[in-house]
Amino acid sequence: MKANPVVRAARGGLFGRRVQTIVIGLVVFASTAASTLALGLVVDSNAPFDRAFAAQHGADVTAAVTGASSAQLAGTTGLPGVTASAGPFPQTTVSVASQVTPSIHVFSGGHKGGTAITVHQQLTLVGRSSPGGQVDDLTLKAGHWADGPGQIVLSSQSGLQLGVGSQLTVTGVPGSPKLTVVGIATSVTDTAQGWVTPSEIAALHAAGTPEVSQMLYQFSTAGTAAAVNSDIASIRGALPYGSVLGAQSWLTAKAQATSSFAPWVPFIVAFGLIGLIMSVLIVINVVSGAVVAGIRRIGILKSIGFSPPQVIAAYVLQVAVPAAVGCAVGVIAGNLMAVPMLGQTAQVYGVGSLAVPFWVSLAVPLAMLGLVGATALLIALRAGRMSAVQAIATGRAPRPKHGYGVHRLLARTRLPRTVTIGLAGPFARPTRTLVTLAAIVFGGTAVIFGFGLSTSLDRVQADLSRAASEQVQVFLAGRQGPIVINGKSSATLSLAAQEHTVQDALRDQPGTLHDVAEADGQVSVPGQSDQLSLIGFGGDASWTGYAMISGHWYSGPDQVDVNTAFLNDTSTKVGDQYTLTSGGKHTTVQIAGEVFDPNGGQPEMIGAIATLTAADPGLSPHQYLAQLASSTDVGAYVNALNSTLGKGYLVSVNDSGGAALPAIQGLIATLTLLIAVVAGLAVLNTAVLQTREQVHDLGVFKAVGMTPPQTITMVISTVAGTGLVAGLIAIPAGVTLHRYVLPVMGNAAQTNLPAAVLDVYHAPELILLALSGLVIAVAGALAPAGWAARTRTVVALRAE
Amino acid sequence: MDTLVQLTDVSKRYESDEPPAVAHVSMELARGESVAIMGPSGSGKSTLLNLIAGLDRPTSGAVTVGGERVDTLSETGVARYRRRQVGMIFQFFNLLDDMTVMDNVLLPAQLAGLPAKQARGRADELIAALRIGQHKDAYPARLSGGERQRVAIARALVNRPALLLADEPTGALDTASGEAIGELLLDLNSSGQTLILVTHNPDLATRYARRVIEIVDGRIASDACATGVCK
Repeated sequence: MKANPVVRAARGGLFGRRVQTIVIGLVVFASTAASTLALGLVVDSNAPFDRAFAAQHGADVTAAVTGASSAQLAGTTGLPGVTASAGPFPQTTVSVASQVTPSIHVFSGGHKGGTAITVHQQLTLVGRSSPGGQVDDLTLKAGHWADGPGQIVLSSQSGLQLGVGSQLTVTGVPGSPKLTVVGIATSVTDTAQGWVTPSEIAALHAAGTPEVSQMLYQFSTAGTAAAVNSDIASIRGALPYGSVLGAQSWLTAKAQATSSFAPWVPFIVAFGLIGLIMSVLIVINVVSGAVVAGIRRIGILKSIGFSPPQVIAAYVLQVAVPAAVGCAVGVIAGNLMAVPMLGQTAQVYGVGSLAVPFWVSLAVPLAMLGLVGATALLIALRAGRMSAVQAIATGRAPRPKHGYGVHRLLARTRLPRTVTIGLAGPFARPTRTLVTLAAIVFGGTAVIFGFGLSTSLDRVQADLSRAASEQVQVFLAGRQGPIVINGKSSATLSLAAQEHTVQDALRDQPGTLHDVAEADGQVSVPGQSDQLSLIGFGGDASWTGYAMISGHWYSGPDQVDVNTAFLNDTSTKVGDQYTLTSGGKHTTVQIAGEVFDPNGGQPEMIGAIATLTAADPGLSPHQYLAQLASSTDVGAYVNALNSTLGKGYLVSVNDSGGAALPAIQGLIATLTLLIAVVAGLAVLNTAVLQTREQVHDLGVFKAVGMTPPQTITMVISTVAGTGLVAGLIAIPAGVTLHRYVLPVMGNAAQTNLPAAVLDVYHAPELILLALSGLVIAVAGALAPAGWAARTRTVVALRAE
Repeated sequence: MDTLVQLTDVSKRYESDEPPAVAHVSMELARGESVAIMGPSGSGKSTLLNLIAGLDRPTSGAVTVGGERVDTLSETGVARYRRRQVGMIFQFFNLLDDMTVMDNVLLPAQLAGLPAKQARGRADELIAALRIGQHKDAYPARLSGGERQRVAIARALVNRPALLLADEPTGALDTASGEAIGELLLDLNSSGQTLILVTHNPDLATRYARRVIEIVDGRIASDACATGVCK
């Protein structure tokens, strides 16, 4: 059966213009993939916890139960309102010790390793035979589920920086059994810090302690705290009195997750929007260029008898076929790329996993195909209305009406002729040049913004962790009495005696540069809903490294420093007086400075212990902080101090590493690269169109002696100027975006930002970053430049 | 004889199952000669010119110009050869429409890296000699066919090439303009410029060249002096 003439004409165009077909397919593929990912990121950033909670069948209530029979526990699953349940899972709490090599942030920047130290921690373990389930479907991030004795799957939120293959020693249990980390998993409501096989719980259970089971419930009404409390009450009522040791609401987990990921949403949304806008821009540019390039062929088709609707259909089909292939492959690629990227995002947001919503995978390719079709249709309609002769004349080696003056001007300069010919090229097609410029500006903006964001976040991490200054912490038992440290009860010494012991040890320990006692407390403040956090120091603490947003570090007994939340809650500012009250006693202090310490959005006051006891008379040191000399091996220092102090004191390293920052940095880098690649494809399209349109001129250049290297220089010069200008425009754009997004992120974290976090751009970096536009442009033009250099002169001369 | 161009058993075949465009052509051209390669449409005359110019490569045989094997040069080498040794004139002029007359003429000199002052001096000299000085800042679209061909000739001569190749130089011109261009080429040859002219018109061949090589189906059918006396 003969093919329809429209189909044949379209097929002829597809195979006759293979390069154009490939470029359309490639650009639509990249744009669809980028848009799928970008929209997925934007959508997932809107209530990511809720999405993850629904996807992972999160538990509305997590209950720890003891002294109830299996029948009684099974009975709770049938309570009115219970829609799903899981358990009972055996549960126990163990003390573990692990060897960690601290990664220490050093003054000169970067990190260094050191001698391994022993870290002690308590872990709540639950015995589960598989990660899946009707409720609390765990997401396995690495390794595999525990399937035998001596294996543990750690929660990614356990606080232990251990990877698969690491070993933990369970202390306080006969034989001190070892557990090997075989996997890392995440529970959206953090139901445990680790999981083992059910039989392992029995082996780890400390003799003489009650057996505990974990039950997980979903309820039909659990949207408010009151509803959840009612649900918990119904569980308690169904079980023997006192058997419910504790019950966690999903709302608590949501509040914690939301406060931790809220700061990251603005930058992810910013990148997502850049990606979406760029993709739309580039697709329009590519498709319109392709159809314009085919106007002459439209005229020829009309001259041999095709009707206007037929030529329009042929042209739309010619563009739609590669676009459809690009969309189909692009949405698959977008979903595949989303796996690691949304995994990183989920880690940043602290939720188990995120996925591209199904409707995004459907809507993006349809929208992209619609955009391609609409663009092709609009331009083909214009050509379809022309007479055949007009279309052929318009389409034959279209002569630009612009740029002649620029050609002349540039010809007068001392630059090599091939460069000036190239630099003048963009002025011949100003609209196309502007679109290409816009695409490179977006790409350059993403690079500059990404660099600034990454640098700012590094500084935020350093400022908040204070790992370069507060390198070692020594915990005291304090006035609370003995606590379990290192698996054993601490020695019962008076606080003063403990402090003397630690002070002597620190001073005698080689490598100690500074040390100070620190006290933490929480007090209620009349008229304020939030409790006020107090951080008191027992001496000079100016070296502890708190970043100042404004003002200065407190320098006397009548001065304090506060965080942004305090200033906002109390409507005060730096320099104001504030009255501390306790037991009828009033003490007035001056706010000397605003520190960068969000404290989860809670108000915080920092000062001398002697000053802050006016608000909290019971404030007393609970730890000592130490800063070490630069050449000191931190691990060796900690081990030596541990040995001196003995059991009863907990010495730990302020590790500067955090799981979130590498994930964020990875996400920034990936998003930046993706946007730069899409921008490069826009340049590729422009360079291909330009070399194709001017192939005859290319033949003339070669005929009069232009060598292949000169040809490459000329083609690259056609986009280099645009790239340089775009890079210059991208500097203020990227810096402005950074200046806008960072404070928005800070607001989400309820803090202002220190100047050092915002002032990350300096002249040397900006000069290099401005070259990002040039790099994108040159990268996009390399392939067409090579093609132009290889084109046979005689073939090019014959082209019209 | 001071041989400038030598073709030794040159053949060019585009498709293996089609007859060759040029078949086993051997010829020599002395410095200062003017030769017309004549033949009907599709005879291979333009292909032969392209092989001499290095615009295309022979399937077999050797093309030597000024003692240099053109057919074995790299793409960069052949481009440099064209700059130094060859000036080309085309039927449809092949001027660059977005460059002025002066810029068109200067182009080969600039690509060859000639110092700007020297290149400009040479271009001015040629523009004056070809009587297009009043158009030097104009764009080709504003010129007549004859004027455009003069610009093309000036461009072809700016690097003082040893060999001037003209492919149907009067084919797109009216009779008067064509005759003027023909006379111009004769004058250039009289002053020592070696010229190869491709045409399908026997009258033009005999009027503007001293030697006529006839090509039929890619082979040399005859090679005779136009007036019967070659020297």
